[in-house]
Amino acid sequence: MTQGATSTTSFDCSDVERLLEPYLDGEFGDDDRASLESHLSACASCRDGAAKAMAFRSALRARLREAFAPGAPHTTAPDSLRHRISVALDAEVERPAAWWRRILSPLPVAAMAACVAGALVVFAGHRATDPLVEEAVRKHARDLPLELSTASIAPEVIPGMLASKLDFHPRPPTFRGDGVKLVGARLAQLRDWPAAYMRYETPRGGRFGLFIIDDPQRRVADEGHAVRAGPETIWVMNMRGYNVAVWRRNEIVYSLVSDLDEADLVRLVETAQPVER
Amino acid sequence: MVSSRALDNTRREFEVLALPHLDGLYAAALRLTKNPRDAEDLVQDSVLRAFRFFDKFERGTNIKAWLYKILTNTFINRYRRTTKERNIVEDERDSVQDRLVSRDAADVAEDPERAFFDRLLSDDVLRAIDAVPIDFRMAVILADLQDFSYKEIADILDVPVGTVMSRLFRGRRLLQKQLAEYATASGVLHAGEDDGSIRDGSIQLDAWKRKRGIS
Repeated sequence: MTQGATSTTSFDCSDVERLLEPYLDGEFGDDDRASLESHLSACASCRDGAAKAMAFRSALRARLREAFAPGAPHTTAPDSLRHRISVALDAEVERPAAWWRRILSPLPVAAMAACVAGALVVFAGHRATDPLVEEAVRKHARDLPLELSTASIAPEVIPGMLASKLDFHPRPPTFRGDGVKLVGARLAQLRDWPAAYMRYETPRGGRFGLFIIDDPQRRVADEGHAVRAGPETIWVMNMRGYNVAVWRRNEIVYSLVSDLDEADLVRLVETAQPVER
Repeated sequence: MVSSRALDNTRREFEVLALPHLDGLYAAALRLTKNPRDAEDLVQDSVLRAFRFFDKFERGTNIKAWLYKILTNTFINRYRRTTKERNIVEDERDSVQDRLVSRDAADVAEDPERAFFDRLLSDDVLRAIDAVPIDFRMAVILADLQDFSYKEIADILDVPVGTVMSRLFRGRRLLQKQLAEYATASGVLHAGEDDGSIRDGSIQLDAWKRKRGIS
């Protein structure tokens, strides 16, 4: 253990203990993450500690999610509050105040109104997008550390390992032909849905994330625009600069978050075939 | 006439952007104020404030972070003075014991039966959060319930990232300690053991572990 600690350059065991939490929170940049992970791979004691901390952390977070599931009285703004806010906003709108004239004065009124209307269209579009996709993009962008890395675990055993922690088998598709490589995976949560998250790299240094959830009741709505990708219909949308493809295979819904352009994204999904079991 | 229509548009834009966050804001406000009436007042004040300053909101940036910044500022300025809160200093002591308890808690959570978390009711989780002193509680709420990054929390609370990290660390330890107390209390007490020492989480935990044959 101590040997492991001395053989790494920038992190020792006490650093790891101190910095484990920000690491697990996904706060590390690539370099720090690599240093810490190289310490973990060399130091059994820290690795054990990290695994325990990770297990505790995910159990705690799952419990928090459960306690704060939407729809409970303590997680839902009461109708009385919504009503009060609406009445208060009415009053604000009916009584144009100094702040409001300040905004309006430098611009011709019509231009301003057009501006606001334009903004509305865009924002309304965002709102219409499934909150699940929104969260997938956010989680992907946060670049959380991978619990299962193909640096140490064979890619083919990863789905089984994820399945043992989820109530469903994630059945990740195989992306063929483009030299797409699985980097690793982690358990994730999209709102109240337990999910598997797989991160892949493309040969040209691009990367994308795939969220897999179980949706037997078809709660996930079709959003975006429909595109044929081989035999599949996939739904494509852009959010916060990421192109997202969503498709369903029986009860499983896949959300692929990528920085590929739409044509490449569709081509990529076309190469994905179901995994035979 | 025209200006009131434009104002209506602003209002619509505001509603489209801000109101989807109302449930989250209320849930957070409830954990800050610990009672529904204050939570409603806090959210209403914050939302109204946000509307009045909506021209200051930079379009395309993170509205959620902006709203939570207004919420926490409003809370700190107006409600905190009147809300009875324990002083943080009181809870700064005894960190060694916290650490031991949280390690125990982590060990218990490793239990394949997941007995630790299974013992907890959602109400226990809420009570445990409410028991964490306010500065730490804010950090935990923002990170673990609202999924903000350290940087976003630093902006919201107007403190350095290092402070966020240490508050979060400490807040989570205290939360674990509370949860361990509840889990232990329900495990040991429901089994009919002496309940004389409920205030000390570590003793409870030891007793419970002995009972379950965990060394």
